[in-house]
Amino acid sequence: MSEEELTFWEKLARIDRRVFYWILFIGLMIPFIHPIVFPIAISPSTRDLYEGIKEMVEPGDVVVMNIAFGVDAWPECMPAFAACTKLLIKEGAKIIFWGAYYDVDMTYQEVLRRCEDYFKNLKYGEDYVYLGYYPYQEAAVAQLAASIRSIFKTDNYGTPLDEIPMMKNVDKATDIKLVLSGDTGDVCDYYIRQWRIPYGTPVAEIGIAMLGSSYMPYYRSGVLFGMSVGVRGGAELEKLIGEPAEATIRMGAINISHILVVIAVILANIGYFASRRK
Amino acid sequence: MAEVLRREVVYLITAIVTVIMFIEFFFVGTWNVAEELRTWATIIANISLGLGAVRLLSEHAKNIQKRRAGVWPFSIWLWIIFLITILSGLAGYVTTHDAMKNPLYNWLFRWPYTSLGQTLYAITGFYIFSAAYRAFRARNIDAALLLIAGCFVILTNAPIGGVIWGGIPVIGRWFLDYGQAPAMRCFLIVAAFGMLAYGFRALLGRERGFYGEVAGE
Repeated sequence: MSEEELTFWEKLARIDRRVFYWILFIGLMIPFIHPIVFPIAISPSTRDLYEGIKEMVEPGDVVVMNIAFGVDAWPECMPAFAACTKLLIKEGAKIIFWGAYYDVDMTYQEVLRRCEDYFKNLKYGEDYVYLGYYPYQEAAVAQLAASIRSIFKTDNYGTPLDEIPMMKNVDKATDIKLVLSGDTGDVCDYYIRQWRIPYGTPVAEIGIAMLGSSYMPYYRSGVLFGMSVGVRGGAELEKLIGEPAEATIRMGAINISHILVVIAVILANIGYFASRRK
Repeated sequence: MAEVLRREVVYLITAIVTVIMFIEFFFVGTWNVAEELRTWATIIANISLGLGAVRLLSEHAKNIQKRRAGVWPFSIWLWIIFLITILSGLAGYVTTHDAMKNPLYNWLFRWPYTSLGQTLYAITGFYIFSAAYRAFRARNIDAALLLIAGCFVILTNAPIGGVIWGGIPVIGRWFLDYGQAPAMRCFLIVAAFGMLAYGFRALLGRERGFYGEVAGE
């Protein structure tokens, strides 16, 4: 059937994909030209993450921030990761950064940049340390729980761990107050299986939106004490710590794109049913 | 004979390691042998990264050598970028113990790599948009239910959903908490049983996929 012979309803059900690409492209520009701000409700999983950190972390406690997302997932994971870093510093925690992603160096540098005001009063080695990359596999995560020194002899810059003040009495999962894992994959599973279950170390997830459904059973059963889901989770955390930033701005784009998807689905179904009736 | 012996040794090692890891899980942190094995596993994983890089370079060297049509110019490009990245990173590490302090290495990661990575990731949004239009049709009652639940969850994740109607996030959250979480829990439990079965088969030498064999052959 040629394009001219199609009825209006049939055309509605067969819109060219390039039209959608242009609509989305133009739609996504609107919030950056004129910000669209709606109130953001806090989801229970994000609230539990925030309150869990506030309740559990005492000044001087050592916390692990696991970087298991690459630079491509910065827009989704980084706002929540940065907000949690700020919250941990406010609570007086000492932070160990390490990562299972080959570009972890970049992400660590970006965390430092985004939390610059917080880190300027901290001393490397006393308040935070960066141990670098470990291979992306469960055996390494299990061994980190048993002995950090068996995986990392030195920090990322070659200083032996025994010479780093905050690492003096820290070597096992039992020395760590909690783990926050920023993920695009399944690394948080490893921490659940190798840290949370055998040692009881509290674990929380900072993941891309897609992981929300994967980790929901763990959160609902209390295995994860909290969970931040995608850029929305980041915006909620920014609201909770009282510092609206990148994720809050990005919610404008989320609003536009999500409403466009729903409109497209409705149009497709109107066209589908109308052309079937005919 | 040698091949059979070689296979049997692999199965034997697999069985011993499986038993050690299985027992250690119940006596966590008390068995040095298990810890030692995990350290070996980590070292082997690190070596495999290097091995992977060597293999990648050798495959692309073959492409260049044979002038494989449509491929060899990209292979040359891969070699050039690989060498620049690894040499600049090593230079940074040798001089300052921090590869990121080398300006060239830092630039490669910060600008081309980060921008391209984020662009590729963002492009999927356009495909999802067009795919949702073409695939989300209420062709039957199951598809209609999926469609309705999907729309509520989409609008729950965007603050605009709550602005349109206060009930949208409530219903969307209900789908998330009581619809998908139990279903996902079923998948996880079934997968866990599957892993147990896989473990026992590996222990008994019946699971041979990791050795490049199909069980039963």
